[in-house]
Amino acid sequence: MATTTGVLARPTSYSGVWSWLTTVDHKRIGVLYGATAFIFLLIAGLEAGVLRAQLARPNSTIVDGQTFNAMFTMHATTMIFMAIMPMSVAFFNFVVPLAIGARDVAFPRLNAFSYWVFLFGALLMHTSFLVGQIPDAGWFSYANLTSRTFSPEAGLDFWAIGLLVMGASSVAGALNFTVTIINMRAPGMSLWRMPVFIWMTLLTSILLVLAFPVITVGLIELTMDRNFGTNFFNTSAGGDPVLWQHLFWVFGHPEVYILILPAMGIVSEILPTFSKKPLFGYPVVIFSGIVIAIMGWAVWSHHMFTVGLGPVANSVFTITTMLIAVPTGVKIFNWIGTMWGGSLEFKTPMLFAIGFIALFIVGGLSGVSHAVSPSDFQQQDTYYIVAHIHYVLFGGSIFGIFAGIYYWFPKLTNRMLGEGLGKWHFWLMFIGMNITFFPMHFAGLDGMPRRIYTYPVGYGWEVYNLLSSLGYVLLFVGFVMFVHNIFHSLKKGQVAGHDPWDAPTLEWSISSPPPEYNFAEIPHVRGLDHYWIVKREARAAGQPVPGPEPHAAPGSVHMPSPSYWPLVTAFGVVWIGGGMLIDVGWDYIKFPISFVGGLIAFIGVVGWANEPASAPDAHHGGHEAGHGAAH
Amino acid sequence: MGFLPFRSRNVTDGTPGSFRQVSRPGLSRVPPLALLAAMAVLALLVACSPQSNMSTWETFGPVARGQLHLFNVLLWVMVVVFVLVEGILLYAIIRYRRRPGQPLPHQTHGNMPLEIAWTIIPTILVLAVGGWSVATLFRLDQPPASAGKPLEVVVTGHQWWWEFEYPDADGAGKVISTANELRVPVNRPINITLHSDDVIHSFWVPKLAGKMDVIPTRSNKMWFQADATGTYYGQCAELCGVIHALMKFRVQVLTNAEYDTWVAGYGKAPQLSADALKGQAVFQGAGTCTVCHTASGVDNPAVVDGRVAGFNSGGAIAPGPNLTDLATRTSFAAGTVEPLNPDNLRKWINNPNDLKPSTHMAGRAKALYPDGSTKVTLSDVQVSDLVAYLMSLK
Repeated sequence: MATTTGVLARPTSYSGVWSWLTTVDHKRIGVLYGATAFIFLLIAGLEAGVLRAQLARPNSTIVDGQTFNAMFTMHATTMIFMAIMPMSVAFFNFVVPLAIGARDVAFPRLNAFSYWVFLFGALLMHTSFLVGQIPDAGWFSYANLTSRTFSPEAGLDFWAIGLLVMGASSVAGALNFTVTIINMRAPGMSLWRMPVFIWMTLLTSILLVLAFPVITVGLIELTMDRNFGTNFFNTSAGGDPVLWQHLFWVFGHPEVYILILPAMGIVSEILPTFSKKPLFGYPVVIFSGIVIAIMGWAVWSHHMFTVGLGPVANSVFTITTMLIAVPTGVKIFNWIGTMWGGSLEFKTPMLFAIGFIALFIVGGLSGVSHAVSPSDFQQQDTYYIVAHIHYVLFGGSIFGIFAGIYYWFPKLTNRMLGEGLGKWHFWLMFIGMNITFFPMHFAGLDGMPRRIYTYPVGYGWEVYNLLSSLGYVLLFVGFVMFVHNIFHSLKKGQVAGHDPWDAPTLEWSISSPPPEYNFAEIPHVRGLDHYWIVKREARAAGQPVPGPEPHAAPGSVHMPSPSYWPLVTAFGVVWIGGGMLIDVGWDYIKFPISFVGGLIAFIGVVGWANEPASAPDAHHGGHEAGHGAAH
Repeated sequence: MGFLPFRSRNVTDGTPGSFRQVSRPGLSRVPPLALLAAMAVLALLVACSPQSNMSTWETFGPVARGQLHLFNVLLWVMVVVFVLVEGILLYAIIRYRRRPGQPLPHQTHGNMPLEIAWTIIPTILVLAVGGWSVATLFRLDQPPASAGKPLEVVVTGHQWWWEFEYPDADGAGKVISTANELRVPVNRPINITLHSDDVIHSFWVPKLAGKMDVIPTRSNKMWFQADATGTYYGQCAELCGVIHALMKFRVQVLTNAEYDTWVAGYGKAPQLSADALKGQAVFQGAGTCTVCHTASGVDNPAVVDGRVAGFNSGGAIAPGPNLTDLATRTSFAAGTVEPLNPDNLRKWINNPNDLKPSTHMAGRAKALYPDGSTKVTLSDVQVSDLVAYLMSLK
């Protein structure tokens, strides 16, 4: 029996395509986020391949300037907004409710909505490839290169509107996780008993909610300038191109921490597990994160040292930027302190976590050298900066993400990822990453500017570029191995059991994969590293270590029911944006088309509001097909 | 010890959560060390890297030198911190690897004095370096009064070439406009004012000074001084469109005498051969070169609205490089074609896009490149005449 709300019958299936389209289960949404983000990660990686192929030799003509600009623009935009961020959100989704002892996020349907808006926004931006008008002004898209005069094609409209749509997803998701973490922790889990990953999720979510409105203002102004003749950045009418830079970097620098804090959280979970020791200086690590999240707002102009803000502004941002290195360094010391005196087991997640530390140190140090503005006058917009950001984003965020995938894959699927392939993957990535990005430091200090599609012989840049391109090959092979490992292990991986790593946090106390309701009985948290406390007490008392609780009887746990409305609403939202991109030669057609999207979104919201969270007659608590998030 | 794929035969006893294992420590520790060695070799390789036109390591003026000095000190701090922290990390990896039958390690939760120390020490360190950075920043912001009266140059960035204007080149009010090769006297501070005619560019000559952005609606200032004569390479450092990579320039640092000679000779009517005279007729034909370019005897630069302007007929700001002293330059097409000689000029005129894709020239001189073609319609003889004319512009 389906509950009807207006026109649509409530979805009832818990398997098949429709169950995925209508799911509100945080674990399934996490899988959707992760799979989508990983596909975009591969796309962005292939775009990097075009860049490395072109730059491998001087005077290369594999692609022209236009294509090259499009490739680096989409490489960075995709990596940041469609790969690393949603990959982090995949972890928020899968891990947060499990690790705080909740049955789902605070707003399950909003969670589904976030995913669909993200997916549609990403697809909308990639439609630019189909019409052959790809964004090409860089991921920072500085005005006034982005004006209609200098970028007459629609690429930047796809870019701006795609990001606006995805921004809605980010803010909705971030609000959801903020509320979830503040309100839905299991009894006994005070803030000071929250795993570090949960803390970093909370901080990231707060940053997201505060940062995205700033870029949204910029993007709307850009869209207005390009489509409706406003003059925010139009220099020929007195508009100010530097205004864009402030808006972009007031968003863009907190964004850097949005990209790295989740990875720091992941590493802070993995190091204690594989060191058999609690995190060293837990409160200090948390406070460092809080300090980073606050100070992250006071450093944006270090991206603008060469804009001509003058020595006073440059001094201020030099000092604030150098100071933010302190809490970052403190975290590194605490991670090493965690390993110190431990009993280190080098499973793949641990290797990636240690790789994260080793590479992040390099990125952090080079970061200090361009925090110093006089030194940055030479380094700004060179390959030295390209090296830096890849040490923190690839060596940092992506290594952290891989660590997390190897760590939580068994919880998600009840299968281990292959260790042998995992180690191959790690070493290829670690060595490949250093061969690709370390020479870029030298290319930059030898004066190679960023974003040039060609360079002549005789500038001394040939060797570095060739090395970088060869390193790319290793990274490529590493990714192939990883993909193979995933598919192989899904079918044939060693069965994991509920706690393969002897881990300290709550999610490992329930079965793998977790039942749809996560916890049949909400646990009472007895301290930081709750599950270690429980297991060690049992061992000390000579009792069997408590395993996962038996599955609840069907229907005994009431969970939110699946819903069509998030999908419908998200579809309407993206239609609003897509309508603005319709080009049939008559501009005014955009408005009625967008209006239809608004109507769809409105209907979606009304249907959503009138639908009860749980269908009263649904028996899904113990539904068999609802168990396996991965199947 | 199991962090290598080759040695992943660690046997666990199969119990989830167990950390008993059999492993043979040994050779597996080599690869990280080998990697470090490889990186050291790379660093050495780099230390004796070949000649580099844009290297920030070789400085020829006080601004670049001050910036490099600061970076060098930072570099040593970075190297020390890198070796120390990575060393401790590596030590921890080796020293605290799990051994068979090892009991649960001591469960420390932290060490407050240690944590206070590693917060305070880096804070002091960064504040010290920060204070010094600020001092350098202010010291290098303006040329010192002792350096003498600076030469003023107005730089205008265009998609995709550089315009250099001297409001007072000789101290007696002589106005000079040239392109893509900036000539300056040695040992004299040069004050640069930066304008943009279209989008944001960035003016950068690494061996002389760090970069400064060239932003429409703004007049950014910077300065440099060269303490040796010679050619210095520069390039736009801010993405400015499709051929951002091809927006280069040179700074020719001359002795005072050479500079004075160039200034005095600038703008004198050129000696034209019979061929060159025919070439001049092509140059001035309707819809051809003077749509964008000017040269001596066509119009003289004049100051309009505080900017040197009015190169082509009608006094509008020319969208193309001023060619008055073209034949004295060593390169053309915004530093992408080198050397400047009749052969290269002929190739350039025949099809500019062959040498510099996406350049605006063919699109604007519509009488020479009709119907969107980038191939010139002039006969070979006409091209030779034009080249003869251009080569006499000195």
